[in-house]
Amino acid sequence: MFFRRSPHALEKLSKELRQVILETTYIAGAAHIGGALSVLDTIIALYNSPDLNFEKDHFILSAGHLCLAHYAVLSKIHHIPEKTLHTFSQLGSIFQGHESTEVPGVEFSSGSLGQGLSFAAGLAIGDKDSHVVCVTTDGEHNEGQIWEALLFANKYHLGNLINVVDYNGIQIDGKTEDIMPLGELAAKYLRFGWTVTTVDGHDFSALLKAIKQAKNSTIYPACIIAKTTFGKGISYMEGNADYHHTKNLSDDLYQQALDELKK
Amino acid sequence: MPTTRVSKPKTISPSEAKLASIRQSFGDTLYELGSIMPDLYVVSMDLRESMRLSRFANKFRSRFIECGVAENNAAGVAAGLAKAGKTVFIASFACFSPGLNWSTLRESICYNNANVKIVGGYAGLMAGVLGATHQMLEDVSLVRSLPNMEVFSPIDAVETAKVVKAIARTKTPAYLRIVAPETPLVFPQKLAFTIGKSHVLQKGTSVTILGHGPILTSAFSIKKPSLEIVNCSSIKPLDEATILASVKKTGRCIVIEDHQKNGGLGEAVASSILTSGLKCKFIHLAVNNQFGQSGKDYQQLFSHYHIGQKDLETAIKKIL
Repeated sequence: MFFRRSPHALEKLSKELRQVILETTYIAGAAHIGGALSVLDTIIALYNSPDLNFEKDHFILSAGHLCLAHYAVLSKIHHIPEKTLHTFSQLGSIFQGHESTEVPGVEFSSGSLGQGLSFAAGLAIGDKDSHVVCVTTDGEHNEGQIWEALLFANKYHLGNLINVVDYNGIQIDGKTEDIMPLGELAAKYLRFGWTVTTVDGHDFSALLKAIKQAKNSTIYPACIIAKTTFGKGISYMEGNADYHHTKNLSDDLYQQALDELKK
Repeated sequence: MPTTRVSKPKTISPSEAKLASIRQSFGDTLYELGSIMPDLYVVSMDLRESMRLSRFANKFRSRFIECGVAENNAAGVAAGLAKAGKTVFIASFACFSPGLNWSTLRESICYNNANVKIVGGYAGLMAGVLGATHQMLEDVSLVRSLPNMEVFSPIDAVETAKVVKAIARTKTPAYLRIVAPETPLVFPQKLAFTIGKSHVLQKGTSVTILGHGPILTSAFSIKKPSLEIVNCSSIKPLDEATILASVKKTGRCIVIEDHQKNGGLGEAVASSILTSGLKCKFIHLAVNNQFGQSGKDYQQLFSHYHIGQKDLETAIKKIL
């Protein structure tokens, strides 16, 4: 919608925004960095898909703790200086610690998991001429409300609803498979009457193709399961639940992370 | 001469007054509004007939959304519809909404300031035979605490129609508390309902009786001493000016409500009085940290939980 870049250019953008996320986390002193790094490419792909236009379509981040990835993309779109983004989670900042409508482009304030998909479904009924894209996480599927919304979207044939699941396998206390196994998530979506595609959530060509397919599903609500790496790009964070919410990143670890992201 | 909106003192006794159904009035008003408000949506949680939504549902099929027994999803769907520019009413029993879906009301509706009206039915001990699980005595407390949320509890079927019409015109979240059984009609048909305004339904000099919902009608049959009955149907925003003016005059205040003491109207009023610096005697008649139980009818339950008419009479004697 805003950048319309090639997959190669999107990779460059991804690299740049990863550094922005890291820097903001370091300056702010705390952020949900692991999930932000896993979902970033999905959000970049959504905003660059020729099949969506978020001036008309809707983007709902259900997993509000992943806001830093969304804020980084929105800051780029709305030309908000990085200096302003660095006020993240500080008193009086528009960049609240969880997704907030104070930020230009945010349509739904969130933070309590499981609520966004219902909101997106209601919006999909109320605005049938647009597409509503919701971003949830695998861990978020512990919440019963998600499953209520899945039944609902099937009942009302919400062909204009797309749910992207950022499937990184990690939640606060550890691996999702240990905390609460989801089993065959794709099969469950199918059984609930959704179309479903599983993609590599860091492969822009695959993501853009999946978005196109999901948009073309006009009768059924569509799910994209984006398999991602928690903490993507920073070796000591990858797959490490300790970095769900990072506080006071040391200078050394910050420098190491920055070096890795710049490679 | 400007006309006054305060009704003349009346001698209405609930036993003499006509009875009417608050929930039927709610359903009929929604039906009426459906024709003149093309953006009015109703979200149901499998209590369509209990909440008297059927007339609306049958006539405005595409604007009636049935979510099944899923109160969190229903609240979220309603917030999403509101984002699309709709005015949305969601209706269930108060024990489920806000009882079960409070966090969704808090975030999806209130924090997002969505134009959703939450209607909690079968509230209070008035749920009668259904027993403790369904006798929601904590709903006012739950919703009063939410920023952006307005809270209303009409006294009868006539006022209910006026409240529904008033909140349908606002753009903010609101909670409407309604009850199941038929209750006495005491609200004057010609009296206007205004958000944030309490009405002195009976002028008096000795004791101020405050309350919300049909339980307040029990005060009308007490002839002596001279009672000033103030209907606090607008619980939030609360009409402190009218309440304090009455309390200043009488120096005695009794709050009666079919709700827990904790978090109810009585606490809101007590806080206002203390803050104002007024000195007055104060009694709060409400359920005291207990669950309800099944009973023959609400009169029996009111007596059992010490919020019946006799208890009000005793409280009046005590406060004089």
